Amino acid sequence: MNTGILKFVLDGQIVEIDFNKVGFLPSTTVLNYLRSLHGHKGTKEGCAEGDCGACTVVLGELVDEKIRYRSVDSCLLFLPAIHGKQLITVENLAIRNGRETLLHPVQQALVEQYGSQCGFCTPGIAMSLFALFKSDIEISRHNVIHALAGNLCRCTGYDSIYRAALQAYGNRQPDQFEEKEPETTKLLQQIHAEGISLEIKTIDQIYLLPSTLTEAIEIRASNPQARIINGATDTAIRQNKTHEFLLALLDISGVDELKVIRRENNGFYIGAGLSIESFKAFSEKEMPFLLPMFDVFASWQIRNVASIGGNLATASPIGDFIPLFIALNARLELINHQGKRWVGMENFITGYRQNCLEKNELLLGIHIPYAGQGVVFKTEKVSTRRDLDISTLSIAMRLELDTHNKVQDIILAYGGMADRPKRARHVEKFMMGKTWSKGNIQEARALIENDFTPISDARSGSEYRMAAAKNLLLKMLW
Amino acid sequence: MIESKDKTHHESAIQHVTGEAVYVGDMQMGEQMLIGRVVYSPYAHAEIVDYDLSEARKLQGVYAVLDHKDIPGINELNPMVHDEPCLAKEKVSCIGQAIFLIAAENEQIAHDAEKKIRIIYKLLPAILSIDEAIAGGNLLAPSRAIETGDPDTALMQAKHVIEGTLKTGGQEHWYLETQSALCVPGEGHEMMVYASSQNPTETQMVVAEVLGINANEVVCEVRRLGGGFGGKETQGNHVAAWAALLANATRRPVKMVLNRDDDQKITGKRHRFQSSYKIGFDDNGQITSYIVDMNADAGMAKDLSMAILERALFHAENAYFIPNLRATGTMWKTNLPSNTAFRGFGGPQGMAVIEQAIDQIARYLKKDAAEIRYKNFYGLHERNITPYGQPISNNRLLMIWDQLIESSNYYDRREKTSSYNTKNEYVKRGLALTPVKFGISFTTSFLNQAGALVLIYKDGTVLVNHGGTEMGQGLHTKIWQIAASGLGLPMRKVKVNATNTSKVPNTSPTAASSGTDLNGMAVTNAIAKLKARLQPCAAKMIAEQFGFTPKGALTYQNGKIFDLDHPTKSIEFESLIAKAHFEQISLGATGFYSTPGIFFDRNKGKGTPFYYFAYGMAVSEVEVDTLTGSVKLLRTDILHDVGDSINPGVDLGQVTGGFIQGVGWCTTETLRYSKDGHLLNHSPDTYKIPGIGNIPEIFNVSLLDKAPNPSVIKRSKAVGEPPFMLAFSVWLAIKDAISAVGNHKVEPLFGLPANNELVLLSIENIRSRHAAP
Repeated sequence: MNTGILKFVLDGQIVEIDFNKVGFLPSTTVLNYLRSLHGHKGTKEGCAEGDCGACTVVLGELVDEKIRYRSVDSCLLFLPAIHGKQLITVENLAIRNGRETLLHPVQQALVEQYGSQCGFCTPGIAMSLFALFKSDIEISRHNVIHALAGNLCRCTGYDSIYRAALQAYGNRQPDQFEEKEPETTKLLQQIHAEGISLEIKTIDQIYLLPSTLTEAIEIRASNPQARIINGATDTAIRQNKTHEFLLALLDISGVDELKVIRRENNGFYIGAGLSIESFKAFSEKEMPFLLPMFDVFASWQIRNVASIGGNLATASPIGDFIPLFIALNARLELINHQGKRWVGMENFITGYRQNCLEKNELLLGIHIPYAGQGVVFKTEKVSTRRDLDISTLSIAMRLELDTHNKVQDIILAYGGMADRPKRARHVEKFMMGKTWSKGNIQEARALIENDFTPISDARSGSEYRMAAAKNLLLKMLW
Repeated sequence: MIESKDKTHHESAIQHVTGEAVYVGDMQMGEQMLIGRVVYSPYAHAEIVDYDLSEARKLQGVYAVLDHKDIPGINELNPMVHDEPCLAKEKVSCIGQAIFLIAAENEQIAHDAEKKIRIIYKLLPAILSIDEAIAGGNLLAPSRAIETGDPDTALMQAKHVIEGTLKTGGQEHWYLETQSALCVPGEGHEMMVYASSQNPTETQMVVAEVLGINANEVVCEVRRLGGGFGGKETQGNHVAAWAALLANATRRPVKMVLNRDDDQKITGKRHRFQSSYKIGFDDNGQITSYIVDMNADAGMAKDLSMAILERALFHAENAYFIPNLRATGTMWKTNLPSNTAFRGFGGPQGMAVIEQAIDQIARYLKKDAAEIRYKNFYGLHERNITPYGQPISNNRLLMIWDQLIESSNYYDRREKTSSYNTKNEYVKRGLALTPVKFGISFTTSFLNQAGALVLIYKDGTVLVNHGGTEMGQGLHTKIWQIAASGLGLPMRKVKVNATNTSKVPNTSPTAASSGTDLNGMAVTNAIAKLKARLQPCAAKMIAEQFGFTPKGALTYQNGKIFDLDHPTKSIEFESLIAKAHFEQISLGATGFYSTPGIFFDRNKGKGTPFYYFAYGMAVSEVEVDTLTGSVKLLRTDILHDVGDSINPGVDLGQVTGGFIQGVGWCTTETLRYSKDGHLLNHSPDTYKIPGIGNIPEIFNVSLLDKAPNPSVIKRSKAVGEPPFMLAFSVWLAIKDAISAVGNHKVEPLFGLPANNELVLLSIENIRSRHAAP
């Protein structure tokens, strides 16, 4: 941790920012930074909460000496998060040669398919299409929707944008980014050679970005007041919307030791720093029963930066993965400078948006035991809109049946039904030892009322939550 | 410039995709520029007892904190009926009503200054629902009515009568670009206003009025809007007036861009309606009488509410001939932000009721709802007079029906849906066909006018100015095409300018789907004037070069001018213009157009309020998860009438986009309020407009072929609003699926939006009624 100077690549050059010499905070979002520049006003603010994608930019990152491109919402990204990365904005896509403009294939496709109307969402759409263009994702209706679910358009009805995606992807060929990759790689390596941890201290704010776990634990112990972030998709919203002033931040997104996945102790060990998107890629092979949840978890832009640890530690009453991990009997490993400890998923959450982390602790990882023979996992999320929407309620179930189809063990965890994700203990107790049948489940439905007293809020009324919670039991049948 | 495959793409497409397109929020005026902020009421109804701005004014970096006393002109936002103060004086009438304005170096300082304002309110009882307004007699204006035949007698004589009620919800515009304006003070009283407004003339007038200056001292320019949908027809003026007051007070440029949450809280929405109806019909489902009473929530001020109510009444019968009809409507005043124009302008709210009533008739008679619709369509030559006395000519309903029934494979799929439903207990499918007939013209008749200013420069390039604004709908693209083809020039020689009140005065808002109809005609008129002026000069040039004098009008094509009888003997447009300039011929011309024959007598409820009608039809199929109420849109087939399309790519975009916006209103877009009037869904976190995942899995959208629209520019038709209402096919397909839970024996509880909450509770209701003894 020897440098306080932020460095990244923009417009083919290394940009350096010394926060003691500029008039903005380290926690300035990439969006606000871009909009303060000449020549980068194409990146738009539509909502400042990651729900519309008008501010989508693409980050180029060195992975095994190659550049990997990922779309992100620049409104939810603090500047230090792009340290040692390439920042690509909509202005960078076309090649300009004097008066001539050679459009990138994704731009050309949008023009030809009438994919823009008012044009305000278009830069973000172009960047999501660009990220898709640069990915190795197989093209399909499902995957195009997946790549674009984080971009709202109020004019087109999306059909033209969908066709543009197919056209651009269908004509894929090396683009200017591929041609310039050796140059860009050199610039990124140059930054990385100086070390990628950052210690930014200004009069107003401290922003610490360690690159090793040891550093992170030390900082945590010595700066217990610092807000821990890893992706910051929640904290950034609070800064944007409530003007909450963040005095000190500990950004652990640069710690590679937190991004591990390994088999351990009869299960999987998932590092808390793993991005949701990386966790998804792993689950496709190893835990396919999680995929229905990944499918409806936020957007590509958010999954690319949001971490699994962050999703758990915010302790949201909905927190998509919390009910799931309760059902999976997951345990969380916490660490401080003195040692480690384990805590069960349910006990980790202590109240409304509260967890049991001590002032000097970090969430290190999650252990998910193997299901074992005959164990069934199911999960279902209910939301107003299928994509990019927070659950109205959700359910996750772990079920063990004996050879006579009788319930040997059952966990039913709900999100969105109480001040924290919670098990339906009355229903579980009722079902124990009973035949796993529609009749018994029908009978158990009424017991949901003993387990929960849901509230009415901006997403739905309590009556709906109760009715759906009962019905979700039936959905666990098949 | 892209003209690939003989298609003209959106005029700004390249600027859009490269990020070059400039919106108000992107404009810079150097370090002098200040940021404006509006401070608004957190209470729905309250007296302002006292306030203190001194601490806020003292803050470093704050340049102005204004209250109503600082308004040099008239404290009004509505230039027609003065009922909406620009800044609240003694009382606030809704959450979001502006009270103070702040200009500061940056947003953070403006925000800090707001926190230093002290204000004391005395709360007053608030009216927050239509029912409360009705109970309190809180009328906005006297009721309106349209009547034909003898609906009461016909209802008494009807074989069957059904009664019902329907509530339709509001809708947030959710333009991607929030309300924004940049005002730059000039010499003397001059004020330059860069606005995101559908109504530059009214923005100019409102700014002049609050500043107490003349209209000739204010220029309003609109390059483009990042979406409007009606939300910037009047309410784009507000932020412009606020920024202008701050710019005037500080003598610096002031930019004001509302953040998303403030925009959603402050601005008006689509009006929510609650309607009750009685409908009489015979055994075949032939409707003999329809009596409907609509009550709507206007919010705290008039805005456009009465015109919106009127359009709801004009569309009470949608595409159906109903010989005996009475539609009455009342706007009620509540303590919510004043509701405003939104695509369809009351039409959707009026039409939803009759569509629901017909759906009920079908269930009652155990017939297919599409059949009942067909039976009641307006006729081609008879049964073709609307309740307000306007005959319908060029009716396209039957033409569309025939083609769509076949292309959508309707009857086959009706059977498949039924058999699917008998086999599946928890997942049900629904299918519905719904028509749209939408009247084109401003029903406030004088607004049907437009102006243009076409300028030809010495190098032979052309700059087109007109009164319409570009908000994504492709108006500038069509005007560009109209001008280029009118002058026979390649597209690259013609440019459409930003809309500017100093070029074309006294324009109507770009609204009512009328942008191309009106402005296209005005531009054509200007071009005709220019050609008439150029005629002698061109004839002389042809005579000099080719030795014959052309007779009659010359043809302009591919940059050349010639007599049709001698197409090879042509002169170049550039040479003609150079010569005309030497000959001292004026190369700029204004154009004007007003729609002929439009009138409506409000007292009698009769007239010809529309120049013509636009038609469309859609068939949609949905799948409903009856355990959660979630809806999946499986397939939609649309056939829509745009006359001869000027630009099929643009028109298909309008149809698709309008439909999906309608789907949002009909399904996921729900506005919920706290008991003291706070909008709970004030950000996209909880207010869900459709995403790409919400478009139908199979989506066939076509334009009706061979259906030219006589006496309209290039025989085309307006397209902005009508497709919105095609979404009723989705709404009623959902109802059809719900109805399948009770084997179509019970009439489901229903409303709009049919969000998953409404769907599930309706299904649970059917299940409990079934279970009951």
